[in-house]
Amino acid sequence: MTTILPECDIPIPQRQPHIVCHEPGNMILPMCNVQTVPGDLTERGCTFAGCRGVVGGPVKDVIQLIHGPIGCAYYTWGTRRNLSDVKLHRKYCFSTDLAEDSVIYGGAKKLYNSIIESHELFPEGKAVFVYSTCVVGLIGDDTEAICRQAQEKIGIPVVPFHCEGFRGVSQSLGHHIANRTLFEKVVGTEEPGTTTPYDMCIIGEFNIDGDAWIVKPLFERMGIRVLSVFTGNASYHDIPPMHRAKLNIVQCQRSSTYIAKMIQDKYGVPYINVSLFGMAQTAQALRDVGKFFHLEENAEKVIAEELAKYQSKIDQYRKKLEDKKCFIYQGAPRAWHWMGPMRELGIETILTATTFGHKDDYEKIMEKANPGHVCIDNPNALEIEEYLIKLKPDFFIGGLKEKYLTYKLGIPFINGHSYEEGPYAGFEGFVNFAKDIDVAVNSPVWKFINQPLEAK
Amino acid sequence: MARNVAINPPKMCQPMGAILAYMGVHGCVPLVHGSQGCSTYPRYNIARHFRESAEVAVSSLAEDAAVYGGAKNLTEAIKNVKSRMNPALIGICTTCMSETIGDDVKLISKKALPPGDAVKIIPASTPSYVGTHLTGYDNAMRTLVETLAVKGEPNKKINFITGIINPGDIREIKNMLRIMKVKNIFLSDISETLDTPIMPGGHKPLLPDGGAQPSDIIDSANSLGTIAICRAAGSAATYLQNKFNVPAVIAPAPIGIANTDRFVQNIGMLSGASIPDEIIRERGRLIDSIVDVHHYMFGRKVAIFGDPDLVSAIVRFCAEAGMNPTVAMTATKQKDFAPDIKAVNTEYKTDTQILEGTDLYEFHESIKTYRAELILGNSKGKDIADDEGVPLVRFGFPVYDRVGVYRYSIMGYKGSIYLLDQMTNAILGHKYDPDKLHQ
Repeated sequence: MTTILPECDIPIPQRQPHIVCHEPGNMILPMCNVQTVPGDLTERGCTFAGCRGVVGGPVKDVIQLIHGPIGCAYYTWGTRRNLSDVKLHRKYCFSTDLAEDSVIYGGAKKLYNSIIESHELFPEGKAVFVYSTCVVGLIGDDTEAICRQAQEKIGIPVVPFHCEGFRGVSQSLGHHIANRTLFEKVVGTEEPGTTTPYDMCIIGEFNIDGDAWIVKPLFERMGIRVLSVFTGNASYHDIPPMHRAKLNIVQCQRSSTYIAKMIQDKYGVPYINVSLFGMAQTAQALRDVGKFFHLEENAEKVIAEELAKYQSKIDQYRKKLEDKKCFIYQGAPRAWHWMGPMRELGIETILTATTFGHKDDYEKIMEKANPGHVCIDNPNALEIEEYLIKLKPDFFIGGLKEKYLTYKLGIPFINGHSYEEGPYAGFEGFVNFAKDIDVAVNSPVWKFINQPLEAK
Repeated sequence: MARNVAINPPKMCQPMGAILAYMGVHGCVPLVHGSQGCSTYPRYNIARHFRESAEVAVSSLAEDAAVYGGAKNLTEAIKNVKSRMNPALIGICTTCMSETIGDDVKLISKKALPPGDAVKIIPASTPSYVGTHLTGYDNAMRTLVETLAVKGEPNKKINFITGIINPGDIREIKNMLRIMKVKNIFLSDISETLDTPIMPGGHKPLLPDGGAQPSDIIDSANSLGTIAICRAAGSAATYLQNKFNVPAVIAPAPIGIANTDRFVQNIGMLSGASIPDEIIRERGRLIDSIVDVHHYMFGRKVAIFGDPDLVSAIVRFCAEAGMNPTVAMTATKQKDFAPDIKAVNTEYKTDTQILEGTDLYEFHESIKTYRAELILGNSKGKDIADDEGVPLVRFGFPVYDRVGVYRYSIMGYKGSIYLLDQMTNAILGHKYDPDKLHQ
C-alpha cells in the first residue's frame, strides 16, 4: 500500500495521505474524517446538509422548517429524491428567511411565529422539524426553548436540530445529530398499536427514487412486519415506536448506525448490517434476517421467486458489460455496497472515493478491492478530473456535481446519489441499475467523440 | 406579506448570484468564504439548470473560525486556488457566516498574496441575509468593475450588464449587436462558459473557454456607455458613470415589442448606430407572430413569477399580445417592479395583481382568486401548475425539469417570438378544441 500525490495536488501535499493504492498484505487506509484543505474545490457539503437533507428530510408528513437566511432552505427544497406517498416534505419549503435585523436582534420571535403560522396553514403536518443554519448558531437563538414553547402552544411535537453548517468536517456530523436528536426526542415517546414477534425496522433506507418500496415488500413477503423505515417514506409516527422492534437492519451504515446502536444500548434491540444492492447481497440480507427470526424457509422462497424473475436479465446485461472498469464515488457506503454487485455484472471497480467516509467505510472498501485499486478520501474536482483522465474508467458512478465534468471528458456516467431511472435497491432495482449502466456505456453517442470533423 | 414564515419563496441567497456573475468572467474561479454547503448548494443548482459543471472553491469554515475568525482559512484558500489553478481572477463571495463573524475580506485578501501578484482578487461582500441572488450578482458585478476598471483611451464600445439570464439570451443580444455593428463588452458573459461543447477526444480546458475577458472589464471605463438590462443589478453601471463619466442606461429587459424597441433605441443613442433593415424585419416578424396567434391568445389569463425585471417585461409583452396578465410575482424587491406593471395596467386596461417580496404560497393563493390559464415561471412553479391543472411555460432560473431552456432566448424580437410560440403551443396543446386548429 502506498499513498499517492496526484499532479494537481503538488502544491497541497497534505492531500497525499488521503489517496492510497491498494497493496494486499500491506494495507493502510486513507486518512479520513478530517477538515478539508481550504480552497481545494471539495465536493463536500455541510452538517446542515447531512441532517436536513439526508436523515430528517425524508420524513414525509412533518413541516420541515429551516431557521436561517433563505439560501439553505431554498437549496434543499425538493432536491433529494427521497420519494413518498405524501407531498408535504418535498413540495413545500418553510423558512424563517432571516434578514439583517434578525441577525442583529436575534431570530427567536420570527422562529416562534413561523412555527405557529406553519402549523395553522398546514394542520396536516404531524410535527415540526426545526433545523438551525450557520447564522443561528452564531447569534445564539435558544431554539430549544422556543421549540418547547411552540410545542406547548400547538400541541404537536416541535423538534429542534442543532445542525449549523459550520459544525464538523462534512455532512457526516449532520447524520449523527439527526440520529441523536430523533433518538433522544422522538424514539420511545409512543408505543406501537400492536406488536408481533416479527417486528423489524429498516434503518438507513431513504427511499431514494423508491428503493424502500422495493425492499420493504421483500421482508414483508417473508412474514416480517416492518415497524418503521428510518426514514424513507416515513411518517413522523413511524419513528416513536422503533424501540419495540425485535431486530433492526442497517442499510446506510454511515448515516444511521448511530440510532441502531442507541436503540440497542437503551432497549436491547440487536441490529445487523445489510447491503440491499445486487442479487447476492440482497439474498444474503434476506437470509440473515430469516435466520434471526427462524424464517429461513420463507427467505429462501422469496429469494427463489426473485431470482427466477430477474437473474436472467442480469445475465443478459452481464454479457454486454463484462470486463468494464468503473469508478465509484459516493457519500460513503454505496462505494463499497456496489463493488460486489459490479462483479456480478463482470465489472471491476478500479477506483473508489467517498465524500465523508470514516475508517470503517475504507476498511470495507479495502476488503473488496483488488491490488492496484485506488481509493480517495474527500476528493476534490481537480483530483476527480485527473483520475478520470489517468485511469480511464469505462464509466463513473458519482453525483450531479460531477456529472457534466465527466461527460465533457467523454466518459459515461450514472448518478448514484439520486439515480437515473431507479430504484436501484433489491433484486428488481439491480436490473434497473444494470440497464442504466448499459445505457450509459453502450450509447452510440460516445463514438463521435473520437471521430473529429475533418475536411475532405 | 404579514406572515413570518416564508413558504416556497422563489429566491436564493447572494452567493448564488455572485457565483453566476463570476462564472461569466474568463479565468475567474469563484471562492466562497463560508461553510462547505455554501459552495456545494449553488454548484448543484448551476449543474442542474445549465447541465454543466461549476467549479467553485470554498474556504471550508468550521467551529474554530466561528471563534477565532476565518482569516486563516480564507488566506489558505486563496493561496491554494492560485497555486493549483493559476486563474486570472479569484472572485470571492462572503456568506451569512463570514459576515456575522465579521471577517474583513478586503483586508484578508489583500494580505493573502504578495503585492503585485498576477492573480487579481475580487473581494465582493455578499451577505446571505441581505437581498437575494440578484443582490449577490449586483455586488459581485460592481466589485469586479470597481477592482478592475481603469481609465484609458476611448474604445467606442458599449458595456452590457445582463443580470441572471441564459446563454441563449446573451447569444441573441450579441446577434442583434452584430447586426447593428455595435462593438460591445459584456461585463459577465456565461454564453460560452455555461454552455460548453464536448470537444474531440474529450479534451477540456481546466477553466471553460469564453466569458468576459478581464482586459475588457478593465477597458469598461472607456466605453460609450453601459446598458444594464437587469435593473436589480445596475450598480456597476452607476459606478462607471460616477467614477469615469460612462453614461449608465438602466432599462427594462428587452422582451416584447416596446421593451425591445427601447433597447434598440438605447443602443442607437449611445453608439450613434442606425437601425438596420434586418432589425426592422425581425421586429416585423414578431408583430407577424402576434397577429398569427391573437385569436388563440386574446384575453388568456396568465400568471407570472420570477426575477423582477424579467417578470415585468413579460407582463408588458403578454399585454401587447392581447393576453390578460392576472398575477405578477417576484420575491426580490425592486423599486421599478410595481411602477412598471401599473404602467402596463394603465396602458392596456389590465388589472395585474402585483406581489413583491413574497413567496409562491401567496402567488398560488392569488391565482385561486384571479385565475390563470397559463403560468410562466421556473421549475418551482410545477406543483402550482399541476394543482391548478394548467400548463407551465418555463423561463428564468432554475429550470431543471425540462431540457434545453438555457439554450434558447426569450429576449430581443426573435426571442420574444420563441416565448410567444411556447405560450401559444402550451395553450393549444393543453385544452384547445382540435376542430379549431385547422386554421
